[in-house]
Amino acid sequence: MPQETQPGQATNNAPSSLEEFVGRLRRSNYLLGDVWGLRPWLSKYGMTLSILETSEVLGNVSGGVQRGFAYDGLTQGVLQLDTQRAFQLYGGTFNVSALQIHGNNLSAQNLYTFQTASGIEADRATRLWELWYQQKFLQEDRLDVKVGQQSLDQEFMVSQNAGLFINTMFGWPMLPSADLPGGGPAYPLSAPGIRVRVRPVNPLNILLGVFNGSPVVNNTVDPQQRNSSGTSFPLNGGALAIAELQYSYPAVGGMVYGNGSQPLGRTYRLGFWYDTERFADQEYDNTGLSLANPKSPGIPATHCGDYAIYAVADQMIWRDPKDEDGDRAINFFVRAMGSPEEDRNIIDMSMNAGFTFHEPIMHRDDDSCGVGMGYAKVGGHAAGLDRDTAFYTGAFHPVQSGETYVEATYQYQLTAWCQLQPDFQYVFNPGAGIANPNAPGQRVKNEAVVGLRMNILF
Amino acid sequence: MHSTNTRRLKERRLGRSRAARFTALALAMFAFQAAEASGEKAFLEGIHRHITLASTVADNGDLNPYAVIVAPVSAGKIHKGDVLVDNFNKVSNLQGTGTTIVDYNPATKKTSLFAELPQHLAQCPGGVGLTTAMTMLQSGWVIVGSTPSTDGTTRTKGNGGLIVLDANGQLATVWTGTNINGPWGNIAQIDHGSNATLFVSMSGFDVPSPWVRDPVTRYPVTVKKATVLRLELSIPEGKPPVITSQTVIAHGFAQRANVDAFLVGPTGLALGPDQTLYVSDGVGNQIVAISDAVTRTNSAGTGRLVTKEGLLRRPLALVLAPNGHLLVCNALNGQVVEIDPLSGKQLCAQWVDADQAQSPPGNGDLFGIAMTPDGKGFYYVEDDMNTLVEAR
Repeated sequence: MPQETQPGQATNNAPSSLEEFVGRLRRSNYLLGDVWGLRPWLSKYGMTLSILETSEVLGNVSGGVQRGFAYDGLTQGVLQLDTQRAFQLYGGTFNVSALQIHGNNLSAQNLYTFQTASGIEADRATRLWELWYQQKFLQEDRLDVKVGQQSLDQEFMVSQNAGLFINTMFGWPMLPSADLPGGGPAYPLSAPGIRVRVRPVNPLNILLGVFNGSPVVNNTVDPQQRNSSGTSFPLNGGALAIAELQYSYPAVGGMVYGNGSQPLGRTYRLGFWYDTERFADQEYDNTGLSLANPKSPGIPATHCGDYAIYAVADQMIWRDPKDEDGDRAINFFVRAMGSPEEDRNIIDMSMNAGFTFHEPIMHRDDDSCGVGMGYAKVGGHAAGLDRDTAFYTGAFHPVQSGETYVEATYQYQLTAWCQLQPDFQYVFNPGAGIANPNAPGQRVKNEAVVGLRMNILF
Repeated sequence: MHSTNTRRLKERRLGRSRAARFTALALAMFAFQAAEASGEKAFLEGIHRHITLASTVADNGDLNPYAVIVAPVSAGKIHKGDVLVDNFNKVSNLQGTGTTIVDYNPATKKTSLFAELPQHLAQCPGGVGLTTAMTMLQSGWVIVGSTPSTDGTTRTKGNGGLIVLDANGQLATVWTGTNINGPWGNIAQIDHGSNATLFVSMSGFDVPSPWVRDPVTRYPVTVKKATVLRLELSIPEGKPPVITSQTVIAHGFAQRANVDAFLVGPTGLALGPDQTLYVSDGVGNQIVAISDAVTRTNSAGTGRLVTKEGLLRRPLALVLAPNGHLLVCNALNGQVVEIDPLSGKQLCAQWVDADQAQSPPGNGDLFGIAMTPDGKGFYYVEDDMNTLVEAR
C-alpha cells in the first residue's frame, strides 16, 4: 500500500558530503553552479548571466620570424534580459556583453600571418562588446529587429560547423578582416546599427542589416586602441549594408513520410555586403604614382565604396546508423568570399573548408574533432605595390600571393563546463610570402603551430 | 507483480460508468472508421503553424521543461485551459533537481509561477526533480511525479514519489511505496470528479549510474524492471485524493541511465476509447498496447506490439488526437509521429523542432505534449529554448 505523508519542513540545500559536491561539479553546466544564489536571483528578474573563460597556449615549433609559445586568454561575460519574463512583453531580449582580453598575441609576435592562429587574439583590454535590444514581431516570430551595438560575426557569414576550430578565420572571414575599416564590426569590435530578420517561409531566413561603416571613429591608428573601451559608439562616416539569404533543411512544419530514413541536415547561406566608406588604393597615390615611387607624396588614392559576395554551406554527410543516440556524425562545411575590387582590397578572395566529426570515439558523446583549411589571396594592387617596392628600392621585397593553412583539432569534453582542445596548424607561405625581418633575403618559412585551449563556463 | 484492489468499490464504480464508457467507445470507433473511409488526411497534415507562446523558465531559474498539461477546470490559481509545465532541472542544469511548475494563461498570454517545491522533502525519497508525469484532476488537485537526483545523474537517484498539490500550488501530500520508483511518463487518466484512475509509468527501479556499462554494447546497462502502475483514487470533498488501490498492469519494460536524458524508459501513456493503454517504450523504440488497462487485475507484461522503429526515434510522451491517432514525441529528433493505433501504421511525422544546433535537428528537445482544448492543435515544449509552443 502507498505511504502517505503530510507536508513537512524542507531540509537545506547544501551538499551533504564532499562526494556530493564533486558529483554536482561534475554534471553542472557551470563551474560555479548558481554562483551562491546570483543566478536564481537574476532569474527572478528574467535575466541570465554567462561567463566563459578561454585560455590557451599556442606556439610555433617551426618557421615564423621567431619560435616560441605564447599564452592568451579571453573572459566573456554576457547578460541577457527576457522582457516577457521580466515584465510580460513577449519577444524582447536585451543583451550586453563585455570582454576581458589578456595574454600575448602569437600571430603578431612570431607568425606574421594574415590568417591569425587564434580567434581570441586581440589587444589586451577590458571592453564593452555588444549592446543591443531585439524584438520579435508577427505570428510565429516571422520578423525580428535588433537595434544597437552589434558584432556581425555573431550572425552573418557564420558556418556552424567551423566554430569548432581555433584559427580566427573560421569565424569572421579573412576578406572583411583585411579590407573593411578596422577589420569590420567583429570581435573584439562592434558597430551601431539595425538588423532585420524575416522568415517568409520556414526554410528561408533573410537577414538585412545597416551598420556604421567603421567600428571606430578614426581608422588612422590601431582601431582596437582608438576605441579601447568599446564605448565610442561611432556614427560618423559611411554605412555598411549587408544582406544574407539562409536556407535550412529540415525546417519546422516539414512533413516526413515513408520508412523513416533520417535526413542529413544542411544550411546554405548566400550574402552580399557593401560599405560606403572611402577606401585607399593599395598601389597608387592620389597623383597616379606608385606609393613605392620615391616621388610619391605617399597619400594613397581613394575609392568610393567596397563590396563582396559570399556563400557558406554546412552539410551533414554521414550519420552512424549504429549509434543509438543518433548524433555520431560527420559534417562538411565550405565558405568562400570574393570581391572584384582588387585596387582597394588587400585580400580579394578568401575561403575555408573542413570536416568535423562529432563523437569520433564511440561513447565519448560530447567530443568533436575536425580537419579544416583556409586560404587567402592577396589583391592585384597590393601585389603590385610589392613589385614596385622591389623595383624602386632594389631590396629584397617578395611579391605576396596567397596564404594557406590547415588545422586539425580535437575538442575533449572534460565536464559539462570544461573543454580541453589540443590543436595543430600548419601555415604555407605565411603572410602570403612576406619577407622575414629577422632573416634578410628570406621569406617567412612555413610554420607548424601546436597548442592547447581550455574553455571554462563559470 | 501483484494487485491490491478494493474490489467492491471498483466494481461499483465500473458498474456505474460502464454504459457511458461503451457508448463513448462506440461513437469514437464510428467516427474513426468514418474518417478512414473518407480518406481523411492525417492530423499532422493539418498543422501549419508553430507559435512560441512563452518561456518556461521559472522565477528561480529552473529549466528543462518536461510535462505539459492543460487544466480541465478553474480552481485556485489555475484557470480552465491554462497550460501547466514543470521543470526537471535547476538553474545549474543538474537533471532531477527542478522543483517548479509554471502556469501559462492562453487568454492573458501571461506566465506565472504555480508551484515551487523545496529541493528536499522529507516525504519524497531522494528529493524533488519534477518529471513528465503530471496531471490535474477535475477536483483541482495537481499530481506530479518526482524522480530526483543530487548530481544530475541516476548515480544519486532517489525513488521519488508522486506529489499532490492543491490548486494554489501548496503541497498536500506525497505518495511513495514499493510500487512507486521514478514516476516518469505522462499520466493517462479517467476522472469522474469524486474518483479517478491514473496510469503512471515507473522507470526508476534499480537503474544504476550511467557509467555502469554493458560490457558488450558499452552503453549503460539495461534493466528490464520498468512498470506501468494503475492507481485508483478516491477524492473526498475538499480533501486530497486518497489511493484506494494500485495495480501493476504492465512490467518488464527496459530502462537505462543516460547522461544526457537522465534515463530512458517507458515515457508516454495514452488511454484509447476501448480501454487499451498505449505505452511508448523508449529503449525498445516501439509503442505497445496494454489491453483492458482499466479493469485488468494483473500485469500484461510488456503488452502487445503496436508499431516499432520506422519513424520512431526513442518515443517519449504520447497523446491521443481527435481522429483516434496517437501523436508521439521523438527524443532523438524534433519530430512528432502520427500512428494509427488500430492498424499499427505510422502515417507520417512532422518536424516541430528543427534546431540544427543538435544532430539530428531537435535531438533531445521534445518531451511533453498535450492537445489544445479545441482539439485543433497541440502544445509541446522545446528543451533547447525552454519554451512552450502551440502547433495548430
